[in-house]
Amino acid sequence: MLTQFGQVLIFMIIAAGFVAVAFIAARLIGPKLPSKGKNSTYECGEDTEGDTWLKFNVRYYVIALIFIIFDVEIVFLFPWAVVFKEMGLIAFIEMAIFLIILILGFVYAYAKGDLHWDKPRPVIPALDRQIFKSEI
Amino acid sequence: MTKYFLLVTLLPLFGFLINILFGKRINSEKFSGYLSSFLVFVPFFITFLVFLDFISVPPESRKIVLNYFNWIAAGKLSINYSFVLDPLSITMVMVVTGIGFLIHVYSIGYMHGDESFARFFSYLNLFIFAMLNLVLADNFLLVFLGWEGVGLCSYLLIGFWSEKKFTGDAAKKAFIVNRIGDFGFMTAMFLIFANFGTLEISGFLGNIAGMPVNSVLLTAIALLFFLGATGKSAQIPLFVWLPDAMAGPTPVSALIHAATMVTAGIYLIARTSVLYALSPTASQIVLIVGILTALISATIALKQNDIKKILAYSTISQLGFMFIALGTMSYGVAIFHLITHAFFKALMFLGSGSVIHAMHDEQDIRNMGGLKNKMKITYITFLVGAFAISGIPPLSGFFSKDEILYQTFINAGILPYIIVLFTAALTAFYMFRLTGLTFFGKARYDENKVHPHESPRTMTIPLIILGILSAVGGFIGLPHFTGLPNYLERWLEPVFTNANRVIQLYKPEGHHAVSVEILLLILSVLVAAGVIYFAFKKFSKQERFEKEKGFGKILENKYYLDEIYDKSVVEPVQNTSEFFLWKIFDVKIIDGFVNGISFYVSRLSIDWRKIQTGIIQDYATITIAGVVLIILYFIFA
Amino acid sequence: MEQTIISLKNFIPECVLIVTILVCLLADLIVRKKSAVVAVIGIAGLFVSGWFVIGQFGVKESVFFGMVVIDPYSVFFKLLFIVSTVFIILFSLASKEIKDSTHTNEHVYLMISLTLGANLMASSVNMLMMYLALETVSITSYVLAGYMKKSKRSSEAAMKYVIYGAASSGIMIYAMSLLYGYTGSMNIFEISSILSKMGGTNPMLVIVMVMILAGFGYKISSVPFHFWTPDVYEGAPIPVTGFLAVTSSAAGFAVLIRFFSVTFLKSTTMLNGSLQIIDGIRWTEIIIVLSVASMIIGNFVAVWQMSFKRLLAYSSIAQGGYIMLGLVVANQQGLTAIFVYLVAYMIMNLGAFYALIMISNKLNSDDINDMKGFAYRAPAVAVGMGIFMFALSGIPATVGFVGKFYLFSALIESNMIWLALVGMMNSVVSLFFYIKVLKYMFLSKPDEENSGKIYYGIAGYVLLFILVIPTLLLGIYFGPIVRFAEMSAVMFGLK
Repeated sequence: MLTQFGQVLIFMIIAAGFVAVAFIAARLIGPKLPSKGKNSTYECGEDTEGDTWLKFNVRYYVIALIFIIFDVEIVFLFPWAVVFKEMGLIAFIEMAIFLIILILGFVYAYAKGDLHWDKPRPVIPALDRQIFKSEI
Repeated sequence: MTKYFLLVTLLPLFGFLINILFGKRINSEKFSGYLSSFLVFVPFFITFLVFLDFISVPPESRKIVLNYFNWIAAGKLSINYSFVLDPLSITMVMVVTGIGFLIHVYSIGYMHGDESFARFFSYLNLFIFAMLNLVLADNFLLVFLGWEGVGLCSYLLIGFWSEKKFTGDAAKKAFIVNRIGDFGFMTAMFLIFANFGTLEISGFLGNIAGMPVNSVLLTAIALLFFLGATGKSAQIPLFVWLPDAMAGPTPVSALIHAATMVTAGIYLIARTSVLYALSPTASQIVLIVGILTALISATIALKQNDIKKILAYSTISQLGFMFIALGTMSYGVAIFHLITHAFFKALMFLGSGSVIHAMHDEQDIRNMGGLKNKMKITYITFLVGAFAISGIPPLSGFFSKDEILYQTFINAGILPYIIVLFTAALTAFYMFRLTGLTFFGKARYDENKVHPHESPRTMTIPLIILGILSAVGGFIGLPHFTGLPNYLERWLEPVFTNANRVIQLYKPEGHHAVSVEILLLILSVLVAAGVIYFAFKKFSKQERFEKEKGFGKILENKYYLDEIYDKSVVEPVQNTSEFFLWKIFDVKIIDGFVNGISFYVSRLSIDWRKIQTGIIQDYATITIAGVVLIILYFIFA
Repeated sequence: MEQTIISLKNFIPECVLIVTILVCLLADLIVRKKSAVVAVIGIAGLFVSGWFVIGQFGVKESVFFGMVVIDPYSVFFKLLFIVSTVFIILFSLASKEIKDSTHTNEHVYLMISLTLGANLMASSVNMLMMYLALETVSITSYVLAGYMKKSKRSSEAAMKYVIYGAASSGIMIYAMSLLYGYTGSMNIFEISSILSKMGGTNPMLVIVMVMILAGFGYKISSVPFHFWTPDVYEGAPIPVTGFLAVTSSAAGFAVLIRFFSVTFLKSTTMLNGSLQIIDGIRWTEIIIVLSVASMIIGNFVAVWQMSFKRLLAYSSIAQGGYIMLGLVVANQQGLTAIFVYLVAYMIMNLGAFYALIMISNKLNSDDINDMKGFAYRAPAVAVGMGIFMFALSGIPATVGFVGKFYLFSALIESNMIWLALVGMMNSVVSLFFYIKVLKYMFLSKPDEENSGKIYYGIAGYVLLFILVIPTLLLGIYFGPIVRFAEMSAVMFGLK
């Protein structure tokens, strides 16, 4: 008799096998007709530019972090929703406290301006001649 | 009242803190002086109330141990911060705070205008605090702490006027000489702890009560404590520091070096009276040392010319009298003399301070004379003190000294009695030499430059009070034959009950006829009166002083004791210390060792410091390596 | 459900802390500038929490399904954390570094969060809970270490701290999973009873112990997990450094001592006052190795440091070594000695850091060279620093001596005289660098251009005085802390 972990293991092996089978089948069955366009990196039809190891602005991470917090919140909310009826008021209060704390965090991030997306402010080159302006 | 008894020690400590921390900032002589005095008076008052409580209860219950907190608890050693209240300690506290208060008030006038006024009073208060701890403590360690504390204050106050070099030297001398005594005290403590497992005084005395008389251990402990006492109470061979200690301000001499601190040795022996009662050998040595000290210092005092030096030698001599009383195992008598001596010697020191004050810091009595008309109060009170110390009835010194003479006669024999009587005669002689030269005759100073005047009231009032006490203080201990009650003896009795019981075991109580006592009394009064008459006649008119010759010169130079000590002790010690200990032992061995350690520490430090590269990859590597190493070690070792 | 509610009753101090954090956070949002108000709210919250903690004294209960326990042991540590946090918040009000940073009042509730984590560390008896509490402490301390955003050193310190901390706790959690795999339980009492049945000869247990020590050892900066310490101490603002040295490392000790005392017990009883360790498990030996290494490395390397903060970093590494000596004894007496030492350590270290804050506020430097002749410029502060240095090196009549005295006498009574000797030798070495500071302050004359007198506000002196008093007073009259330590040396589940 398998333990529960054993069942999980078998499940995982089957899953991995399924993926592997799919890949191998594609490899074996599919035609291979490489060309320059096909081999280039996919970027919405444009030619790629620069290194893939480019630095992302730190703002992305702040947003991502806050997203994760709410993501985790959902994870908690699901099981809570399932048993909510049986547990009644206490469960409601508990979740309310949890959400208040979470929302407070969100308010904090907002109030401190961490969600404010600083747009890049490119410096428009100023010219000493005024001709163009008058022409336009 | 015992509920508030902790205040007795805390208030002076508080005064010390206030004066040392804020005294300079507040910068008010009135504030510092009166606050300090007040904070000494309140403890006196509290103790007095306790005293009243005590005399209303039966003698057996006149002992309370106040346990404040567990101070040290380490293994077997457990020491409580606790005070013992019994007639002895209450008497001592009243003497210390009472006379201390008067001297505080006196100092307000005496130290007027001094730059470090607040500092002076803070030290005085600290001294009172330490001294009270000493006399109240119920364990030897706390006594020792107070013992060292009063030593420290004495050191600070002798060197108070630090701009003069000799005050510093005198302070150092006092400190170093006392260290020798402390060595004795400490060794005695170790012996007690090693053998009895306690440092509590009452516990220790209870433990030894059943031991055989004259056992080696007890004699050793008694003698070691006595060594400590000779240091603090300036007895042979450790008395040389006290005359030098006169370099300090005069109130300090009165308080510390006459009335209180120097009596700590007497107190210690009286407190451990059972120990000395159990060791007649040690008591015998105490007696001999006392007699020798009394005699030698009295002879030195004959030829001194510094007013304070004379009083200092007189103090040593009188302390010798107290040790004589202790040596004859009459502990109550010693305390009696301690009290009366505190009165009249404090009085005389304060009087001398008043004179010095008036004479603009002149201390040589050859340059005084005729002051009796200029300073009436000082003169009269000083005269009372001189009569008291000489033993003229009915002044206080008469009663206490004659009790000592009587005890010497019946307990020690005829020869010691004669020596002590002779010493008492010498006392009367040098005291009236001092009085005669200072207050009588013609002025031997330049009257155009110096205008002696009576001191301010803060100084004269303490003098008057002490004068009255010196005059009537003796009535607390009237001799038996008068048929009147001896209050002091009755009051102190419970403290010495155990010691007396021990003494009775091996020494049947002798019965002496009342007539002998009266005879001795009349003899000593006659001797004193005769000597006073002679001395007064000789010195009240003396105007010319010749260089001392022969024995007089030896006396003037204090038997060359300082020189002998220098040659026989100080120089050899210095030489060994310089040529062996310093140049070879210290420089080569100890320094070499220490430098070696510091060299290797530095080297290791420099090398190991390099591990900290600041690069986090390195840190991780070393950490992992460390973990692996430790794991490998424990798996395979 | 029922049990959760009951457990909450024993969880009031922590709840108060959480509320305090939230209130401080809101207050910070409302005030929107640097203000003492937030700090005052924080301190008030800490006091309330402390009041409830005192009420827990004597309770011995397990709450939240065996996740945490309330026992005198945890109460002692909680009080220690709360008191030290109050002081650190006061320090941060005085600190120029904090004042000059771009943040407003975040440090207050970050510090209280750290205290919350530390409280949980002291009371958790479940490996998972231990890990979570440790991470709570760690993450807040990373942020605090990088508090001075504009300072490169501060940011570097924070970065190193994060990486090092993550690696260490990674190692630890791996070891915990191994132990879980071996015994099938996360609760240390259960692990203890399972291991008692299985015996301790499995070499994997050694691996587990050393790797778990990597996690706890990094919190108490024990050699060889100490590498972050000097860099982080140097980079972080001084109040934070003091906080790490006192609260964070004490929390490390709290969890370390409980974990090792309980997990490898033969059965959950203390026989003859000493812990009966499962046969074949030699955790005390591992602790000896780490302790001796910490003392030696800490003291020896400190000798040449010229940065005061780095010096204190090595000093606290060495002090950690001393404290571990008490754990080696593994009995009631050793635990009492540790507690006495911890109290002493808190007082004198807080004092030293505060004196350093006062000094560096005016000098803008923590280089010992710049402190030349400081005693002529600000005598009171220099004397205070002198007292704390003497206390740290364990000179008699200071609280530091009392701590060392109890540690060494516990060792000697357990016949580990050579360890006591090593400890004493090390405290001699430590004199070298503690006295060095004083040498610069008292014996060197100040440079000509910087020789003016320095004055502080009255509050500064008062705070310094408040710390000097117990350093000296408890050095002479140490009965109460010893009794307090004896009463506190009682763990849940142990008799």
